[in-house]
Amino acid sequence: MPFAFLLGLLAAVTLAGDYFLHRLDLLWVGRYLGILGTLLIICALYYSARKRKWVSKGNPRTLIRLHEFGTWLGSAMVLIHSGIHINAVLPWLATAAMSAIVVSGLVGKILLKQSQQHVKDKLAFFEQQGQSQVDIERAMYWDALALKTMMQWRKVHIPIFLIFATLALGHIFSIFLFWGWA
Amino acid sequence: MSRKLKISLIIGLAMIAALTFVFAHWMVAPGDLMAGHAELNTNCFACHSALTGADSGKCVTCHKLSEIGRLSSKGTPILKAKTSTQFHQELNAQNCVTCHSDHKGVMRYKSKGQFNHALLKAETNAKCQACHQLPSDSLHKAMTGNCTQCHSQTKWRPASFDHNAYFALDEDHVATCVTCHLANDYKRYTCYGCHEHTLANIRSEHMEEGIRQFNNCVECHGSGNKHDIKGGKASKEGKRGKREDD
Repeated sequence: MPFAFLLGLLAAVTLAGDYFLHRLDLLWVGRYLGILGTLLIICALYYSARKRKWVSKGNPRTLIRLHEFGTWLGSAMVLIHSGIHINAVLPWLATAAMSAIVVSGLVGKILLKQSQQHVKDKLAFFEQQGQSQVDIERAMYWDALALKTMMQWRKVHIPIFLIFATLALGHIFSIFLFWGWA
Repeated sequence: MSRKLKISLIIGLAMIAALTFVFAHWMVAPGDLMAGHAELNTNCFACHSALTGADSGKCVTCHKLSEIGRLSSKGTPILKAKTSTQFHQELNAQNCVTCHSDHKGVMRYKSKGQFNHALLKAETNAKCQACHQLPSDSLHKAMTGNCTQCHSQTKWRPASFDHNAYFALDEDHVATCVTCHLANDYKRYTCYGCHEHTLANIRSEHMEEGIRQFNNCVECHGSGNKHDIKGGKASKEGKRGKREDD
C-alpha cells in the first residue's frame, strides 16, 4: 500500500479513536491502549531478532509482514493513548520519536519493495542471457545497489528506534514510579 | 552504527534523562497542579509514593477529614464551601483520587459533580438524610426515609414513581402518606387507615358481591371511584366466589 495512504490512515485512525473514546466517555480505554500498543510493538520486534539470527524460528517473509502490521497497529494504539493533549514533555518526545520511526518504517517498506523489484528485474535479465542458475545466484548474492540502499536506510531507522525505545522506557518508568494502579 | 553517532545518541539521551530528574514536573507530570497545591508543583513525592501512586495517607496529613469543607488545610474557615455536608469521614475507604485529581491535565477529563454513593459506609449510605436535606414540599415533608424506593443515587430526577399508575389520588384521597403507607414503607399500603374504610365495612360490601378476596384493593380499584373497577387477578382467576344466595 502506498506510503501516503498508510500514513494518512494512521492519522485518521488516531483522530477517530480519540474522538470516539471522548464521545463515549471511555478515556480509561485509551490508558490501556498504550500498554497493548507497546506490547504489540515489542512482539513485532521478533522479526528484527530473526533477521539478526538471535532466534531461528519463523519465515522471514511472513515475519516482516507481521513486523509492518504489528508496528503500524501498535503505533496507532499508542497514538490514541497519547491523545491530542500536551501535558508532560517526556511522553511527547517518545510519541514524536515513534512517529518518526513509523515514517522511517514506511520509507523502508518502499525501499525494500524497490530493491526486491530491482533484484527481480536483474534475475530476469540474467535468465534471458542464458546464464546457469549457479552463476545467477553468485551474481545476485551481493547485489550492491539493493544492499547499499537498505544499509543506508538502517543507519537512520535503528538510531531512531533506539531513541524511541529509550524515551518510551523513561515514560514507562515514570508511570510505574508515580501512577497508582489500584 | 558509527562510533560518533553512538556517542551522540548516548549524550543526547543522558541529557533528556537528567532533564527528567531535574524538571520532573515538566517532563513527566500530567499538567501543573491546581492553584491550591501550586507550591507542591516541583515536589512530586509530597503527594506520591514510589510505585503506588498518589497516597491518600499523605492527603489527610494536611486535610483532616472532619474539617474538609469547613476549614482549609491551614485552619482558616472556608467562606464559599462547595458543600456544607461533612461526609468525608463517612467514606468506607480512604482513596482520595477516586474523586479528586490535582493535575490540570487529568482534571480536565474527570467527570465533575459525580459522587459515587457506593463509596460511603453502608450504614451512612442507607441514611440519605444524614447528608441530604428533605425537600420542603408536603409529600416529602411527611417522609422519614426509604428515598431509594423512588429516587436513584445518581440522579434525583426523574423519580421513578408515578402514584397514578397504582392508585389515583383524587379529591377524596388527599391524605398524608402515612395514612396508607405505615412507617413510610412505600412497598406496602393499607386502605384501612381512614374512617371511611374499615375492615368490617369493606368485608361486608365485598361479601355482598360474592368477592372473598379483597386484601389487595388496588388490584381492582385504580382510583377512589368505586364504580371504576378493573378486572384484577381475583376476578380472572375465579376468586370472585359464588354468591351465597345462588
